[in-house]
Amino acid sequence: MKEFKNISGPDMAEWCEYLADDNAIHLSRDAAEAAGFGPNRVNPGPANLAYVLSCLPVDAEATVTEIDARFLGNVLEGDTLDASLEDGAGRLDRDGSPVVSAHITFKP
Amino acid sequence: MSVLQIPPGQFALSARLDDRVRSLSRAAPRASDVAFPIFAFVGALGGMGWKIIDVAGALGLDFSKAPVLARCRLSFERPLLVERTYTVTARVDSLERKPSRTYGSADHMHLTAELCAEAPHSAARLHIIFPGS
Repeated sequence: MKEFKNISGPDMAEWCEYLADDNAIHLSRDAAEAAGFGPNRVNPGPANLAYVLSCLPVDAEATVTEIDARFLGNVLEGDTLDASLEDGAGRLDRDGSPVVSAHITFKP
Repeated sequence: MSVLQIPPGQFALSARLDDRVRSLSRAAPRASDVAFPIFAFVGALGGMGWKIIDVAGALGLDFSKAPVLARCRLSFERPLLVERTYTVTARVDSLERKPSRTYGSADHMHLTAELCAEAPHSAARLHIIFPGS
């Protein structure tokens, strides 16, 4: 289990730059609130999946053949998260509830 | 047959960018020239010929209504490597309006983006939900 504390708004903006994603809920607290997410920015989904993938041993990265991920909830600025990966089953939890569920397949 | 063919683009995957994304993700430092696997997604959106906001606009979808990512499937024919520039070929496979408990109605987009450098490396299949009007 790996803990991620205090998810950062500036990090969200950096992810958006790499993803060429202009979705304002990641960049503006006002936009997040107007869209019904509350007063904090919303983390981009790929960043949430990346936290799960960070649990991969580095020597296993080259053997990944498929990642199938479902995005079940939102991660907000300031959140604390728990990421885990065991036997190809990954998850990211926020307050004990899953926000990402992923199945990773490796070369035999 | 696709709903929309997106112009091809390019994604330059530098070692420096890999280092930075690993740091943002708290992943282990790179041990070879194999890039962090999330780049199948980052390269797909970041490298396709149009930004996702422009893809939405071309399909008449309102990007300001905060689309959400529902699912992604990333597949690898071979690992993505750093210090390579990939050609990104992308298309919208389907777009379907469905009833939604949350939004009343929602448009479900399925988009595929493939990264190739001489040979295919990865494909990202994304399911994105746009709140309806």
